[in-house]
Amino acid sequence: MWETLSAVIVYGLVLGSLWLLVSIGFSLICGVLRIFYLGYGITFTMAIYVTWMFLSDFKLRLDIAIALMIVVQLAFSFLIYRGLIQRYLASEEILVTALLLVQIIIEEAINYKYPAITGVSIPTMILTGLCSVGGASISIQLVISAIVAILFTAIITLVLLKSKLGLIVRALSQDQKTAMLMGADVHRLFALAMMISVIPPSICALLLAPLWSVEPYMGSSFFITALLISILGSVGNLKGTIIASYLIGLIHSSVSFLINPRLMNLAALVFTLAFLSFRSEGLTRSESLW
Amino acid sequence: MKIELKRSRLEVRLDYKKLKLAWTIEPRYWRNPLLAWLALCALPLLSLMGGLQWLSIFTTANLCATIALPLLLQIIGTGRVNLGPQLFVALGGYTAGLLSINYKMEALQTLPIVIVVALLVGLSLSLLTILARGIYFSLITLIIPLVFMEITFVFSDVFKGETGIYGITPLFRLGSHLINSIAYYYASLMILTLYLFLVDKILRSRWGMVYAAINNDEDVAMMMGVDINRHKIFVFTVTSVLTAIAGWFFAHYFGTFAGVTYLPFTFMIKILFIVLIGGRAQAYGTIAGAYFVSILDELLRSYLGNISHFVFPSILLVLLVALPEGLWGIYRKHKYREIYPTIRIRR
Repeated sequence: MWETLSAVIVYGLVLGSLWLLVSIGFSLICGVLRIFYLGYGITFTMAIYVTWMFLSDFKLRLDIAIALMIVVQLAFSFLIYRGLIQRYLASEEILVTALLLVQIIIEEAINYKYPAITGVSIPTMILTGLCSVGGASISIQLVISAIVAILFTAIITLVLLKSKLGLIVRALSQDQKTAMLMGADVHRLFALAMMISVIPPSICALLLAPLWSVEPYMGSSFFITALLISILGSVGNLKGTIIASYLIGLIHSSVSFLINPRLMNLAALVFTLAFLSFRSEGLTRSESLW
Repeated sequence: MKIELKRSRLEVRLDYKKLKLAWTIEPRYWRNPLLAWLALCALPLLSLMGGLQWLSIFTTANLCATIALPLLLQIIGTGRVNLGPQLFVALGGYTAGLLSINYKMEALQTLPIVIVVALLVGLSLSLLTILARGIYFSLITLIIPLVFMEITFVFSDVFKGETGIYGITPLFRLGSHLINSIAYYYASLMILTLYLFLVDKILRSRWGMVYAAINNDEDVAMMMGVDINRHKIFVFTVTSVLTAIAGWFFAHYFGTFAGVTYLPFTFMIKILFIVLIGGRAQAYGTIAGAYFVSILDELLRSYLGNISHFVFPSILLVLLVALPEGLWGIYRKHKYREIYPTIRIRR
């Protein structure tokens, strides 16, 4: 009994930290740009397959491949912002459909070049083996990923709370028009937020690649988790995102250990809907980023 | 009943005791739609020259339009964008399929049960239109079909996972394949016409005005005395049932039903695109959109093979950018009716 309980708590916290890395980029976009970035899932897939392309087709070293992948991701998010988001910010139905279409195009193109049956192996395993945390056995790589997630979230939070850039971004998330009147370069900051938001999912995908299955449509499952966390954590609020990530992590681990791992998303959805019926705005207020 | 010709309009009046009904028919407005409908009726003759596969494509186009039309009405009537209409397609298809293979029920026997199931699920999910608004509603409706797909994999002994349910009793057993195909085409066209008539009549009626008011600003509509919750629940539930009927048709038409075909983003985006490329919530435009998307998909698949999987969405993306008013925008010569609502997500 105690072993199961400790496993639920340990895996809940580790998963919660990972979900933080998964969802923080989405929350940042929702909070700053106040848009619904439906193509967010593709960031995970691109992180894996662009790295794999540089490794297998261009025979580059892992560190160079990862650096180039980050450059490609930043350039891609910038192009998406300039080409679609900036243009259709006011026509949301077009924006939502266009972003989803972009995700489908890239997923299908990846599936064409590297079909799901093709083995993709990214050597990003930092340490192999298991360790014991609170009586529960857990992969060391997962623990490292969780620590990286916490550190990364701490950095983003500190930047948002303590720097001048963070102050402007928070002002922008509260009221775009007023921020513009105060001299904030809205489009530059929007593009910057888009570019920053691809870094956490890229790190997450690379850290988890040696442990979890990799295929061209993997982005959707991460996207569902990011969506649930965003909804529960008051879309676009980082404080809410942090709390929601750990809540969803604990729900996932409880359902996985006690009922059936494949029902974990359903359980998280039911919990989110039940919570929304009591508090429709989510865990925190959604008017600002923090 | 009296039929009067007033200027270029026909007015049909029915006075019976306390019941007074009036229906204005304006032939100058339905001349082109009528011609288009007659062309659709003649399509099987044309497709006989091109092969039976085209008849199947046109039937699928009709069914896609029967999903897009209720979605359009729902978007306007609830003031919310449902990104998961395929949930009810799957619900209708699975209910029909499971009843058919487990209880050997015929298509017409499964239909009332599909309607009841969709009604109950639609009614319970319609609460979302009250609980969540704007982006929350869209996000939740986006997730529910994906979670349902996971359930079909978890309970694969019931839903048969990726292979899906097969051996579902067909709607028509008329002997030859050709006659069956024609029968399916006309049946789908009949449902489509019925849906189009219903949606068009509602949008032009007093209810349409109320829905437009809800779509524009539900708080203002409520202040004006509109019982917005009642209307939202009603329109969500009814359109859910209409969508489930399309799922029921899919199941009894193809004889198989797999959630993996209908529940992912790809099918949803096709339906959403039909609504948009048809002319951004224009009832007649959705039919043009459905035919356009279905024919384009088939042509690309035939000529390009596997590459079509990403060429097809790429063309859709280009069209979305190039035709902001959709195909209906090319046809339409006048401005939008001021009353006609537009789709908005962030509210």
